[in-house]
Amino acid sequence: MLTGRVVLVTGGGAGIGRAIALGLEDAHATVAVVDGDFASREGTAAAFARARESAGPVDAVVHAYVDPAALTSEPLAETVAANWERRCEAILRAALHCCQAAGQELSARGGRLVLVTPTIALTGAAGLVPYATALEGMRALAKSAARQWGARRITVNCVAPPVELMAPDRDGGPSGLALAGRPLGDPDPRVDVAPVVALLTADGGHLVTGVTIPVDGGIVMAP
Amino acid sequence: MTAPLAGRSILVTGAGRGLGRGVALACAAAGADVVVASPRENGAETVAAIEARGGSAAWTRCDATAAGDVEAAVAAAVERIGGLDVVIHNATSRRSSEPVQLEDVDDELWHEHASVSLDGAFHCAQAALPHLRERRGRLILMTSPAGIEGSAMLPVYAMVKGAIRGFAKSLAREWAPLGVTVNVISPLAETPAMTSAYEKDPTLEERLARVVPMGHLGDPETEIGPAVVFLAGDGAGYITGQTLAVDGGRFMTL
Repeated sequence: MLTGRVVLVTGGGAGIGRAIALGLEDAHATVAVVDGDFASREGTAAAFARARESAGPVDAVVHAYVDPAALTSEPLAETVAANWERRCEAILRAALHCCQAAGQELSARGGRLVLVTPTIALTGAAGLVPYATALEGMRALAKSAARQWGARRITVNCVAPPVELMAPDRDGGPSGLALAGRPLGDPDPRVDVAPVVALLTADGGHLVTGVTIPVDGGIVMAP
Repeated sequence: MTAPLAGRSILVTGAGRGLGRGVALACAAAGADVVVASPRENGAETVAAIEARGGSAAWTRCDATAAGDVEAAVAAAVERIGGLDVVIHNATSRRSSEPVQLEDVDDELWHEHASVSLDGAFHCAQAALPHLRERRGRLILMTSPAGIEGSAMLPVYAMVKGAIRGFAKSLAREWAPLGVTVNVISPLAETPAMTSAYEKDPTLEERLARVVPMGHLGDPETEIGPAVVFLAGDGAGYITGQTLAVDGGRFMTL
């Protein structure tokens, strides 16, 4: 489905990023992993450039990176300022820098950008206020970029797995989630999430932009 | 004349002008004691306007980006009537209405937006919780149609306003067991920021009128303020985690 397409995956070295990278390779994409913490715009652009040099001109970017610290559950009232900064604002700055670098890579030929934003963005989550705050900011960023870059033939969308899949140790295998009541069962990132990313990256997805697709086995259903 | 907020203490950030000023006037008219939090002297002008109508208010110099300022404003509110019932975090960056291309966003512009909207929300929540939980209080935050559906012109503003909704939904779940509600209002208000955006882009007013079913921007005091008064009042205690659009129909919930 993605034969001949070059896809860069941020955070593709571990966890859900790695699983998505493997799943895109299953779909015959040429995948390059972009490593780093994306704290600076210049460092992010350089990391994207290195990945492009190894893989070729970029057709799509998947932003799957997350600092695992963002997944720390703690009441907001007990969260110190440094952790608010790390779990919320650093996550947003990384997303902004990766969007900017993706825009740079994709502007000449058009392309696809997909952000991985777990469903707690939509539903909210007690204990994860900083990360959920960042995720709603990322969804608004995706929609804004989708509006701004439509004329460049760049689409920007979000794929929303359960937040449990963002933990680094899940690493693409059977998820083992102990969450009861998913009408369609627990999603596996490589088998279930990556193909939805591939869908948004393939030919037929060119008019789908600014949307969020939950891939969570049927828990979150949009109004 | 009923006073639905009589005996309540309400803190409003960014209340020196624009939407925050209108909300402060509306809350005071509904009987609340209002602490006008503003980093500038215009806070005193809002207080004067409230007092001229027989209302009760005080200005506290408060920069929402500074945790200490917010703590002092909360303490000032508690001092006045012995508690704090409602915090309304309305302040936004003065660069909110500045159109920008994403490739031109630098870390300084990001910080301008995030420090007021997001750090400000964090500071308000942390400083106010001990008082809000005592009185089953309310936290109300401001988003924007841009935060809900994105904005080609104001992508950074959209980002922080979207983030505010994530903040509110999660905190609503966290604080529900304490009896404290957290809600968001999505206003489309006639404000000095909007006026300056019109000046920069003369076609904006006409384009906006076309996409707002009601055909005009909302008056902060008489069209947006009453929704805030409702969320702050007795009847809204079972509403939490919601975004209430007060935008003339600009964005209709899907």
